[in-house]
Amino acid sequence: MNAIPVLTIQDVATLDGVLGDFLEKTEAELTVVIDRGGNVISQYGDMNLMEVTVIAALAAGSFAATRELARRIGEIEFNALYHQGNGNHMFMNSVDDDTIMITVFGSRTTVGLVRFYSGATAKSIAQILKSLQRAAHGFSFEAKDISAAPIFSDQ
Amino acid sequence: MSILNYASREIQFKIVYYGPALCGKTTNLNYIHQRINPQNRGDLVSLATAAERTLFFDFLPLNAVVIKGFVTKFQLYTVPGQVIYNATRQLVLRSVDGLVFVADSQWEKMEENVESFKNLVDNLAKQNMSIDEVPCVLEYNKRDLSNIAPINYMEYVLNNRKKRLPSFEVISSTGQNVFATLNAVSQILLHKFSKQNVVPQTAALPVAIPAEPTRPEGQAAPV
Repeated sequence: MNAIPVLTIQDVATLDGVLGDFLEKTEAELTVVIDRGGNVISQYGDMNLMEVTVIAALAAGSFAATRELARRIGEIEFNALYHQGNGNHMFMNSVDDDTIMITVFGSRTTVGLVRFYSGATAKSIAQILKSLQRAAHGFSFEAKDISAAPIFSDQ
Repeated sequence: MSILNYASREIQFKIVYYGPALCGKTTNLNYIHQRINPQNRGDLVSLATAAERTLFFDFLPLNAVVIKGFVTKFQLYTVPGQVIYNATRQLVLRSVDGLVFVADSQWEKMEENVESFKNLVDNLAKQNMSIDEVPCVLEYNKRDLSNIAPINYMEYVLNNRKKRLPSFEVISSTGQNVFATLNAVSQILLHKFSKQNVVPQTAALPVAIPAEPTRPEGQAAPV
């Protein structure tokens, strides 16, 4: 039997605590933790800023694409990426081999501050995720709980 | 990889449309985006060249309530089909939960179909995955064209293995069987995680694979 990896309510609260603390210190708008396949693991902050699902997919792609660039100069990958806009900016940093952290911020703060606190935050998140892997919560459901009707319909 | 978040009561799955260049992967996503209830989908994001060839990937997030008490999010991706973009295909395949292999039914595309399928198997192997483990369906696209191979030949070339995959005759430009294909891979994927682990019976084509169908000279040998 296969099981889906689970984030329990307690896990989410622990992650939210770390991310909330990070946002408070940096005065950034939003932070999202994603896996390198583009799935959202956790998010905290102003969710109205953007469609997080799409940002996660694009950020995972962007991070992966620059890996090739890094290799050309003898690096395994770039640990962090910064996209500068006119008013809003994005900072992405590696958490571990499977995870990336994205931070969106505006003019209330600076990239230096975000970069400074993101290192320690990434370490904390990596530790939490590692402990989740050890706990290995899994979820599977009864076949009768799956809708028998077509999942998607042509309108 | 799928993740279940108990706090938001959401499950996420990633489905990738794979296949040779110009076989209709993006057309599948375009049709789904146009026809599905807008409340159940996000924006379709295409990272394409000026000539509308997929450069990185297309991405379409869909929502459904299919498991009691949970919102299920399906994230549909396409890969770039052109041979040179293999590194990108490997990136998009990362953490995949389900696959739709889109084959072009035209005779002259058969070699490319076979190459692309082999490439999929190789790229999965690089992630320690196997085509027999990942929920996968085959889509024989462009069935409205005149120069197409018969279904039993396509089955012989692409689906001639111990564990046969469900397959569908599709015309993605008009939408014929596009949703049937998506529903099939979604159901197989969900049942993989059920306690019973019973793969649902889909409306697979009732096609017998001939031992060695006659094929025009120079056409592809099976995968």
